[in-house]
Formats: sequence, structure tokens, C-alpha cells
Amino acid sequence: MPREPLLRLEAIDKSFPGVHALDHVDFDLYKGETHVLLGENGAGKSTLVKILSGSLPKDSGRIILRGKQVKITSPYHARSLGIGMVYQELSLIPSLSVAENIFLGRLPRRRFFFVDWPGIYKKAQQILKRLNLNIDSTVPVRHLGLAEQQLVEIAKVLSLNEQILLFDEPTSALSEEERQQLFKLVNELRERGFSIIYISHHLSEVPLVGQRVTVLRDGKKIATLPVNEADEDTIIQMMVGRELKEQFPKEETSPGKPILKVQGLEIKGALNHVDFTLHEGEIVGIFGLLGAGCTTLVRALFGLEKIDSGKIYINGRRVTISSPEKAIRLGLGYLTRDRKDGLIHPMSVVSNITLASLKGISQLGLLKHRKERRVGEKYVNELRIHPPDLTRKLMYLSGGNQQKVALSKWLCSGSKILIFDEPTRGIDVGTKAEIFQLFNQLTKEGVGILMISSELPEILAMADRIFAMRRGTVTAEYRRGETTQEKLLKSVS
Amino acid sequence: MREQRKKLSTIKNNPKSSLPSRAPSAVSLMNQWISMGSEVIRKILLKGGPIVAMLFLIIYLAFATPHFFAVSNFLNITRQSSINAILAIGQTMVIIGAGIDLSVGAVLALSASMSAVAVSYWGLNMAVGILLGLGTGALTGFITGVIITKGRIPDFVATLAMMTTARGLALILTQGLPVPSHFTALKLVGYLPAGLIWLGSGDILGVPVPALITVAITILGWMIMTRTTLGRAIYAVGGNREAARISGISFVRTKIITYTIMGLLAGVAGIVLTGRLNSANALMADGAELQSIAAVVIGGTNLFGGEGGVVGSVIGAFIMGILGNGLNLLNVSAFWQRVILGLIIISVVVFDQWRRRRFVL
Repeated sequence: MPREPLLRLEAIDKSFPGVHALDHVDFDLYKGETHVLLGENGAGKSTLVKILSGSLPKDSGRIILRGKQVKITSPYHARSLGIGMVYQELSLIPSLSVAENIFLGRLPRRRFFFVDWPGIYKKAQQILKRLNLNIDSTVPVRHLGLAEQQLVEIAKVLSLNEQILLFDEPTSALSEEERQQLFKLVNELRERGFSIIYISHHLSEVPLVGQRVTVLRDGKKIATLPVNEADEDTIIQMMVGRELKEQFPKEETSPGKPILKVQGLEIKGALNHVDFTLHEGEIVGIFGLLGAGCTTLVRALFGLEKIDSGKIYINGRRVTISSPEKAIRLGLGYLTRDRKDGLIHPMSVVSNITLASLKGISQLGLLKHRKERRVGEKYVNELRIHPPDLTRKLMYLSGGNQQKVALSKWLCSGSKILIFDEPTRGIDVGTKAEIFQLFNQLTKEGVGILMISSELPEILAMADRIFAMRRGTVTAEYRRGETTQEKLLKSVS
Repeated sequence: MREQRKKLSTIKNNPKSSLPSRAPSAVSLMNQWISMGSEVIRKILLKGGPIVAMLFLIIYLAFATPHFFAVSNFLNITRQSSINAILAIGQTMVIIGAGIDLSVGAVLALSASMSAVAVSYWGLNMAVGILLGLGTGALTGFITGVIITKGRIPDFVATLAMMTTARGLALILTQGLPVPSHFTALKLVGYLPAGLIWLGSGDILGVPVPALITVAITILGWMIMTRTTLGRAIYAVGGNREAARISGISFVRTKIITYTIMGLLAGVAGIVLTGRLNSANALMADGAELQSIAAVVIGGTNLFGGEGGVVGSVIGAFIMGILGNGLNLLNVSAFWQRVILGLIIISVVVFDQWRRRRFVL
């Protein structure tokens, strides 16, 4: 079908200081198709859609929309051209209601300046209903969970009647169920005539939503191919630029003595008599849908939630953990689910990496800069943090690279018990394997890892034992290899 | 053989991007220089903004007025700017920690009054008097820090309350009169000791003592912010309080120490100012808090916290000093000087926003 594409990008080029983010990239999008953009962290996917959505200017190249060359000057302008963006980092205002957020900047007015309140609540409710969302449009956004916020974000864009929708990793915060719901939505929209550009890290999503795939690597376009030719191995090789031996390089270890033991942990309305033990050198996976209490459980272990009753033992000694400071002193480390909660954006990459191990790189409160740089370099190299510039401020890194920095912080902290809440969120396949390799190294040194993950293949392959949680209760425990995706899903829902 | 190599290279490079290879042509070399040049400009704009502004100001004034470019005038400027510079160093730490201290002028006056009253009314030894003044400043700062962290109230509110409280206490202490003064002559045990006056008005080998004190405190402040775990903690708390907490950094401790240092520096500034004025009073250094905040802003520190540095603020204080001095020499009225300072603060911030947008993202 040699027809004119709805949108064509020609030789788009963009540089940031020290990084060539996009190198003469061509791209096109037909009416009524979903075009998936794939690539490792920092490959330039987000930059490309940011240029399209008007939030970044391009250095050179042409954007041709409906046969005419356009210059997109601002997000507002992009919207008026019919291009809407669902952001990766949430762009909602927490104190405003769902409806207000959906109509932000274009609240329907009655005469004079008066806002048509009943009207907007009604309209917002209709949009939410179209998405099959059971959310009250009058509730302030801060009362919603992360996943619900993400869905409101989508609702916000949908209300604009755009013809081109840009999705930047829309599923990274969603549970399995919500993810399925989103795919259904994306496909429905496409059938209605929308054209969609979809960025993802989940290769398994590609055949579910897309018709064509474009792979970017280091700012260059590697290839565009139809979905039926894009099997996982081909794509991975294109993304990584080399053959990847194993996605989950789990090495067998023999767990030692228990280092963390939890007995009858209880938080009213969230956790119900939770018992478990973590041994030296062991990876314990916790799996549950959103709201099952997994995150609450680990936050409680790290002194971030008040515990109503229950006992916690570390190395056989009973402890009370009242603050993160105390938790760290007891040898715990905690990678937050939302990486914004764990990173200091205006600080440099290296300062972020060493933030939880300042004691190790200082003496009497004086920092040893050379030692700090060595630590930083080690992780920048091992996790291939891009660009490899230690002094760059964290906010100028791409999302996946920020996640790598957040991980590095705990990997170098010397903690004996590491709690990872979605450790590979937003991280590409190649680096995931390297992170798991580091997990192996840590467990060999006797570190115990507690890992929450909604990625079934990852948790099934990497965890020595898996706890399934539902509504604050542990519903099942499996050893590695004892369970399957279906069984695990069944025990949490 | 050759074919094989060709094959290899197409595998390594992807087919689309292996355009004519990257041989160093004249054009690419020039591009490289341009990008290197822009890198240098970027660095200057990023780090050196305030210093460049100061140099331009000096060059302009040197040509515009006959008396500006003289050693004696420069020494005069450093003496005048020292108080603001010392306060701005503390204010920078507070602001980087995402706080703001509106009480510095009042705490300065309270500490100065304490020292002056101690040596002239109570007849205490000079060193004890000075220590008492510094201690008063540090204690006030400590209390502010405790109120903010334990009372969980915004910095702005706590320091606003401290501002009026400290002024009030200073008025009570001095009974509203300058110390020492003709009105208080009856009570006088003695005038201010010469040593105290030397701290504000003296010099060593022609360099004003306040300037030397400022240099020492600048170095200390810079060391704290760049070389110590405390400095790192301040940046972290100011950059993202929740993330700092999860990384094991105590918000309470960091905040209290920062405000204590600020109070201590207000005490130092108070003693230097007392020495320069030959007297202390409860209403001295009126508006010093806003002056110090202006210096911090001109110096390029982000008012929302997490970014900035001590050295920029000291330069900011000197820019304000040079400007005041130059405008005096140009016979601009003091009223207009205030207007001009306001315009400069606005243009600095506008420029700051522009360079952030243009040169990094």
C-alpha cells in the first residue's frame, strides 16, 4: 500500500552537549497504525518524541505532516496540529481534581470567565468511562495510585481529539491487568483511526500493540520492519548491537544463615500477619498486583511505615526500625518504586551514586574526592551509564540511565540486605542482564536480596524463592522452578 | 580476504549509518573547534557568569569615573562589602538546603548588641564579649533550626518570627539606645575596646581586616559545601528531601546545623560591623537579610535549593558593593540606586533562566 504517510520525519538531528542524541533519523507513521519505537536507554527514543511533541527543538531535519512541512514550536502548538503526548514522567498536578487535570489549560467556560464545573465533571467522567476507568473525576489526583495517575494521564491526552498519539513507556508503572487494559485501549484507538507512536522496553508488548517496529541505537536508526518479521532475538540484537547470551544469567548459590526474619508483621488496612525469612546469598522475590501490599511491606522494613505489630530480626537480633537512617545503619538498602523518590535531580551522577555510602568515602566528615570518583567510574562502566560523564547533573540523563544510577547507589552502599522495588523498571534488555550479573556477584558475597517485580519472566528466573501476595497477605510460597506464570498469577488474583 | 573484512565492517556498523567514513576533513575539524569553543563558552556561562559580570562592571566603571580605579577605592569597597559577603555565605548554605533565612539582619543586631553590652556595660573581657556575641548568634540559629524541624513549620515563617523576636530582644538588651553612646555615658564602664574596633576598621599590611575575615570564611564555606559530608547533605536535602531521607541523610540534623552556621556567621558579621561603626544598636543592619538574599541570587544559586555555591554569592556581594560605590561616584542618588539594584536582580535571574534553557537542555 504505497500511500502517503500521515507523518514523515526526515534526517532529524539533535545534539546535547557531549551527546549526539539523534543522528539524521528518518521515521514515518501511517494513518491507523501503531509504530513501536525500541532502543536501549539513551538511544534517543524519548528525544525523538519530545521533538515531535514540541517540548524540544530539533537541530536540523524536516517534519512533514499530512504532506506539508511543519515547524513544531511548543507542546501547545503540537496539540493544535493534532499531536498529543502521554508523558513517561507524570505531568499531573497532585492538588487538582482528576477532571481539572484532564482539562488543564482549556477548562470549558460559560459566559465571561466562569468555569462550567458541572460540565467538566460530566465530560471528564465520560472520558474515564470510555477508558473503562472507575475513578471519580472530582477526587484530587494525589489520592490516586501511580497506575491510576498514569491512566488519568492517558485520559488527559485522549480528551484532546488528537489524531497522533505519542506514548512514552506507558506501561512501566502498570500492573499486568492494567497493562492488558491499556493494550486493549491502544488497539481500540487505532481502529478508530488514531495513529500511535509507542515507546517501550517490553519486547513482549510489541506484537500485542504494534504493526511496525523501528529500532534506534546510539541516536541512529538501525531498521524499520513489520511486526511479523521482528522476533525477539532479531530485535534484541539490533538494540544491543551484539548477541546477548542470556537474558537472566542466574547462578545457583547455596543460601547461608538467615539475615532477615519477619514474624507476624501487621499494619492495619495494609498488611496481615506477614512472615518470611531472607537468607545470606539468596534472592527472594515478592509478587503481587498493585495494592497487594508488597511496597508497603518493604517500606515498613525500611522504617518508612509505622508497624502496628510484629517482630523483625536481623542476623538473629530483634530490631525496631524507626527511620531510614536506622535501617541503613542496620545494613539495609532500599531502591524505591518511583525513582523520583530516590534521586537528587540537581546533583551530579557521582554524588547520587555515593549518597548512601558517604561514610565509606569520607574521613571525619571530609570527602575523599578521588575515592569517590573511582567508585563512580566503576558503576558508570559496569552498568554502562550513558553518557559516561560523572559530573553531569542527574536530571540531564534519560529515564533508564537514572534508574541505573539509583541502582548503583545501593549496589555500592555495602548493604547486606538489599530491597529492590521494580529494579529494572525502564531499563533495556542488555543492561538488565548486566544488572542480574551484579545480583549474582552480590549474592556470592553473602548479600540477601528482596526483590519486588511485576515482570513475571524476571522474577521466575532470578528469585530463589517467590512469595505471592494478595491484599496484604502472603498467599503462596514457591521455590525456583516450582511455579509457572499462570500459577503465580492465579495465586495473587 | 578483503571481502571478508568488508562483511565484518557492515556487520559492526549498521548499514544506514556507515556513510562515508569519519576521516578528519577540514570541515569536521572546524566543527570540532566550534564545538570545543562552544564548550568553553558553556563552561563560562555555567560557572563564571557572576565573575564575568563583575569584570564588565569594573571595566565600565574604570572608564566612566576617574576615581573608581584606585587601590584605596577598592579597599574601601571590600570593607563595605564584607558584611554582606559574610551573611551571603551563610544564606547560600541555607538556600541550597531549600530554606531561607529572613532573620539574619536581626540576629546580627542581637549578637552585636550582646557583645557591645557585655564589654561596655558589664565590663567583661573583650574575648569573652566576642564569644558571647558569636554564641548568641549560633544559639539563635540553632533555635530557628529546631523550630523548623521539630515544629514542622516552613523556613519562611520560622525565620520571619525569629526576625521580629531577635530585634525585640536586642531592643530590650540595649534599651533602645546605641551602645556605647553619649546617652548611656553614665552607665559606661568603658568604650569599646580597641581590639574590637580593629576587627571592623583595622588593616594588616594595608588590607582591611574585614576583607581578610571574609576571605577566611569564604574558604571555609567553600570547603564545607564541596569537601564535607555536611555539604553533600545540604545539597541533597535541598535537591530532594524525600530522596535524601531514603539515602540515610537526616533532614533534622542537616537543617539545624545549617541554621546554626548561619546564626554564627550573622554573629561574626555583627561584630565586624560593630567594629566598623564603633558602636552597636538594636536597629543596625536593617534590611541585611534581603541584601544577602540578593547577593545569593546574583551569585547564581537556585532559590529553590539544591544548586549553587558559596563563591558565587561572595562575588554577588562584591558586585552589589562595586555597583553602590560606582553609582555614588557617578553621582546617582541613593534612591535611584535601589531601583537599579532591583533591575539588576531581575536581569540576573532572567539571564540565569535563559542560560539554563539554552546551554544544557
